[in-house]
Amino acid sequence: MVETDLAKTPLFEAHVALGGKMVPFAGFEMPVQYKSGALKEYTAVREGAAGIFDITHMGQVRVSGEEALEFLQYLTTNDVAKLVEGQVQYSALLNESGTFIDDITTYKLRDNAYYLCINAANRHKDVAHLQTEAANFDVVVVDESDDTTLLALQGAAAQSALQPLLDLDLEAIGYYKFAEVSVNGCPGIISRTGYTGEDGFEIYIPNDIAVAVWDALLANGAVPIGLAARDMLRTEMGYALYGHEISDAVTPVEAKLMWITKLEKGYFIGKEALEERKDAGPQQRLIAIKLTGRGIPREHYPVRVDGVLSGEITSGMFSPMAGGVALAYVKPEHAEAGEISVEIRAKHVAAERTKLPFVRSNVRR
Amino acid sequence: MTIPANIKYTKDHEWVRIDGDIATFGISDHAQEALGDIVFVELPEIGREIEAGEAYAVVESVKAVSDVYAPVAGEVIEVNDELEGEPEKVNTDAFGAGWIAKVKMIGDGSVELMTDDEYNTFLEE
Repeated sequence: MVETDLAKTPLFEAHVALGGKMVPFAGFEMPVQYKSGALKEYTAVREGAAGIFDITHMGQVRVSGEEALEFLQYLTTNDVAKLVEGQVQYSALLNESGTFIDDITTYKLRDNAYYLCINAANRHKDVAHLQTEAANFDVVVVDESDDTTLLALQGAAAQSALQPLLDLDLEAIGYYKFAEVSVNGCPGIISRTGYTGEDGFEIYIPNDIAVAVWDALLANGAVPIGLAARDMLRTEMGYALYGHEISDAVTPVEAKLMWITKLEKGYFIGKEALEERKDAGPQQRLIAIKLTGRGIPREHYPVRVDGVLSGEITSGMFSPMAGGVALAYVKPEHAEAGEISVEIRAKHVAAERTKLPFVRSNVRR
Repeated sequence: MTIPANIKYTKDHEWVRIDGDIATFGISDHAQEALGDIVFVELPEIGREIEAGEAYAVVESVKAVSDVYAPVAGEVIEVNDELEGEPEKVNTDAFGAGWIAKVKMIGDGSVELMTDDEYNTFLEE
């Protein structure tokens, strides 16, 4: 993609003014880091600040109509009937073959009205899929992505930085719950969700007030955080990311996401293929590893078990708290036993299996 | 940050300081700035003979892995072991405590070297 094709969020100038190093990301020009650098940003979020992230590149879709519930039950893996008003649910859209179109979050606004948050890179594919299937249901699917700014505010100080902007008491919003609120006189949605393993919120607001809200949060002590630190925080939690742990080549069986896949809820797209895969067993298995030798495990590095090539790393990083850690797909027979090594520049560096998350999660459950 | 005298630069943003037949290598301040936080440095082995322009070390930032190329040919006689525990020295003192390796020069193999002024002009181009 050439640079002139890249979209800018309403906060582009704000990022540049803060020394943001802008890079192409999912069709947008986004800050990979600000002046102080990714490590300091990461540390701020882990050590009690309120980190503020512009994640406007992500997409939002409103689904409403008499058959909104039936429609989402048919298209998503999780059980939408279990959602109550004001609750958020992690879920996925699958192909007929049971592999991922995307992973999403579903917000229940009220009966017959839902709000979906989808990945930036999959937005047009997801919307086309939803609109095609919507022809068979009494629903309206509206892509609100272009009008919506999405901020994540993450870290122990998130609530105190956000509270002064709102009439609503944020204590009332529990983990994976949300409220429709008025922000600067405009309607917004605030959920206690995130992608960092810290307490915090995701804030959906109209583009018109993006700069005002961003500035107000900075004035309340929020620290801007770029994509590099966001990926560090995400990987330390072992959260799956589309294009890495999940893709149209794997099913929830491989990605350890059967917990968001409710086979007993009735039919949904991909269900039959998934049942077959579940019976046959995963074709590969996602494991968490930690290097015991020196080096940084990175995406696509080959992983060997007892010297045999078994798979590759999907996300890897240097964790200031946990060292060289990674998620990797390996052959099913290698998921639990055998000596692991990661090939780094033709050297085999020893590693061991470990549990997720790589560092302690501080989300408020 | 002070830039030591007698320092020369390469187009790949390495620096070299030559004292007699000993050459000290590092990456330029511009390079460390562009890479961002350095979190890992892979050092060459003592005794290794490297050609001018050959990748002799690796620096890794949070997001990127970058080869580091030798400005002149030589045999590695000393490496900056401190970078194994404190790779951030490459960021904080690229021309001083962030040096990477010293070689005993062999022959006259060298990539094109630039003076400080030439390098600054090169960076502006």
